[in-house]
Amino acid sequence: MSQGALNGLRIIELAESVAGEYCGKLLAALGADVIKVERPTTGSPTRTLAPHAPGVAALESSAMFAYLNLGKSSISLDLERESAALATLLAGADGLIDDHNQGWLERLGVDPSMLEKDFPNLVVSSITPFGYGAADAPNTVVDMNLFHASGWGYHTPSASDPQRPPLSGPGPHLASFEAGLDAALAMAAGLLSLEQVGQGQFIDVSMQAVLVSRNDYVIAQMVAGDMPVGDDRHAFDLSGPAGIFECRQGFVYLWMSSPQHWQALGELMGQPAWMLEFPERWLEQACTPERVTLCRQHLSAWLHGEDRNDISAKAQSLGLTMVPVNDPADLVASEQYQHRGYFQHSEHIALTSDRVPGHPFQLSTTPVASGGTAPLLGQHNHRLTDPWTPRSRVASEGQWLHVRSACRHTCG
Amino acid sequence: MKVSGSTSGPLAGIRVVELTKVWAGPYVGKLLTLLGAEVIRVESEKSLDVTRVFGVTDINDAPGFKAVNPQKLSVQVDMKSEQGIELIKKLVAKADIVVENLRPGAIERLGLGYESLQQVNPNVVYVAMSMWGNDGPLAYQTGYAPCFAALGGLSARIGYADEPPCGMNIRYADSTFGAYATLAALACLRHSKQGGGGQYVDVSAVESMSSIIGDAFVDFLSTHELPHPHGNRRRAMAPHGVWQCADGQWLSLAVTDDSNWQALAAIIGDEHLAADERFHTLAGRKCHEDELEQLIAAWCVKHSAESLEHLLQSAGIAALRSRNSLDLIADTGLWSRGLYVEVEDSRGQFKSTMSAPWVFERGATIHRSAPDLGQHNAYVLGDIIGLDQQQQQALVDAKIIC
Repeated sequence: MSQGALNGLRIIELAESVAGEYCGKLLAALGADVIKVERPTTGSPTRTLAPHAPGVAALESSAMFAYLNLGKSSISLDLERESAALATLLAGADGLIDDHNQGWLERLGVDPSMLEKDFPNLVVSSITPFGYGAADAPNTVVDMNLFHASGWGYHTPSASDPQRPPLSGPGPHLASFEAGLDAALAMAAGLLSLEQVGQGQFIDVSMQAVLVSRNDYVIAQMVAGDMPVGDDRHAFDLSGPAGIFECRQGFVYLWMSSPQHWQALGELMGQPAWMLEFPERWLEQACTPERVTLCRQHLSAWLHGEDRNDISAKAQSLGLTMVPVNDPADLVASEQYQHRGYFQHSEHIALTSDRVPGHPFQLSTTPVASGGTAPLLGQHNHRLTDPWTPRSRVASEGQWLHVRSACRHTCG
Repeated sequence: MKVSGSTSGPLAGIRVVELTKVWAGPYVGKLLTLLGAEVIRVESEKSLDVTRVFGVTDINDAPGFKAVNPQKLSVQVDMKSEQGIELIKKLVAKADIVVENLRPGAIERLGLGYESLQQVNPNVVYVAMSMWGNDGPLAYQTGYAPCFAALGGLSARIGYADEPPCGMNIRYADSTFGAYATLAALACLRHSKQGGGGQYVDVSAVESMSSIIGDAFVDFLSTHELPHPHGNRRRAMAPHGVWQCADGQWLSLAVTDDSNWQALAAIIGDEHLAADERFHTLAGRKCHEDELEQLIAAWCVKHSAESLEHLLQSAGIAALRSRNSLDLIADTGLWSRGLYVEVEDSRGQFKSTMSAPWVFERGATIHRSAPDLGQHNAYVLGDIIGLDQQQQQALVDAKIIC
């Protein structure tokens, strides 16, 4: 890997689910050397995630695994039996990513309270559902439960019908992706500090807290007593007729909040008579539920006959915020995404299209790694014997003796 | 006056200049603050942030602004004046990171684009945030958070079965966008501190939305099947949904595998259910999901959500009550891990606000509320830029500091 912003930093990934693997993926994309430790024979449980490429051995057929682990190395290691090998890996690493429940690290001999003594130069990003040390917290959760433990569930969708169940977010992994993202940024900060002051540390990332913090604008106001709290399903909502409307094919999202928007809508629709019944500044000053409903009815009837892309472009040119509701097919075909090279090329037997979604940032001098691939199970087992010194620091003599003897012990 | 940033935390000693508006840009500054950086918002009476003025009477006591800007410093500079631009350049010369999320092209027109700032500080990490990113045929467009979610493919994934999509709650998107920008900024800061120089970081809100649902694209590129909203159902689990309980509350409940289903059937306590072969495998439960869900619904509605959460958790079944806003601010776990903290404002009043979702062994602590407009003029102009009192007063008189 050339020229990455995190070049020279080595991360050991013990994580085995989407959250920690996405964290490792982000750090690998930014140039870190990420070594994934997998169970011998079965590998990471994410190797079972759908979709699977047809006709490929089960262990190597998961497109999700190929996506989540792009750019990493894989070492297969029985952690319970090979604790010396793990110690070797950690002694030569700058970071460790874990996403197992509390207690798992201690059982492996990586006790967070002993880090300072055993691995003083290691930054550990630990991802757990409710945080490390949350002793009374529920311990059986899937992402949907965390989505609902964070407030996003109860309040999704906006303007919901309180009789119908709240919805559970965009797909099965949002809580994991969000937590992985924050674990990565926390790790980046921890690594920076490691290089500046020469000390590692433990970082406790709570998946629930990450999701709650994504709504800090609202919940910080609530906790300050500046916004009402209670059981209202609309407690996060903004009033108004904004929302998704059906078009001839597909949907648009329309946002309206100011008199300028209302004026632009009039122009776009050719000044229909029903709009004259509304006060000019109703969006700001007289936004009653009745008016919102009536406005939405008129908008629905009108937009039903329009092409979503044409009408969005016209609206935009008048200063009205209307956008098409895109699906993956739209974005794969999008000129904008092609121009930016958002989709990355990756050749892997599990990827039938040789493409995976990339990252939302472009860095001018240390571009995101491209063209990499995910490892086969144990593909990099030879790295267990690599004698390497992390660039970020120099290990003490005693530590290196320990490392060498551990290498001989585990690798013959 | 010594008011500078934290002396603790992984970013102690790092200085950030924010030329931002509303939420996504300020969220980057907030995360950097929570990591220990000194974050300075450049503001002016002439272009106040909407969160300082929208629906509030006192710009220095604006709830929305306070939510996203605790512990930051505020300096007033008129960015529409030449002298103001020179001042900002002097500040950037002493900074590590600049964050901007103004309208496309606006920052360049002000003379504060990367090319200009790189000249005064070749090591600066310059983070530019926009809806589509800095280039491409749609780069000129602007929008708000729900537009990012609609354009990026996220909204289409949420809805009731066989109905139009309805998208996520309207508040979602800005902070996720900000978190991606923060990650990129930190990686580049590391590169800069290693002697690699500064760089331009271009972050796209729409691409942030696509990235946070990367699995949707992996699915589509593999199967060419488009996502249709399925309510609360998911491919890999059944049942997987949200049901109303006797007390009117909602319970999210998922069965992760076949033995987990047997555990649930045992709790429901209906012999026929455990023996019903239709439900023994995931494929069977998916095939008969309507009947399955009716059974779960009929059972949930007889019990309180809290009792079910307790009962199911003790049996290793993934079930949690859907938390409302009161539950969130009363969550003792969130209080004890310090997500909510008390901060003091310039009038000596204490109020709670939201801190970081992660806890560092040696982290930064925040104790100040968001700044009053220009509260740190003297520190920024004097201590950082090095102007004496006379020079500062001249800038006030010339309405550059306003």
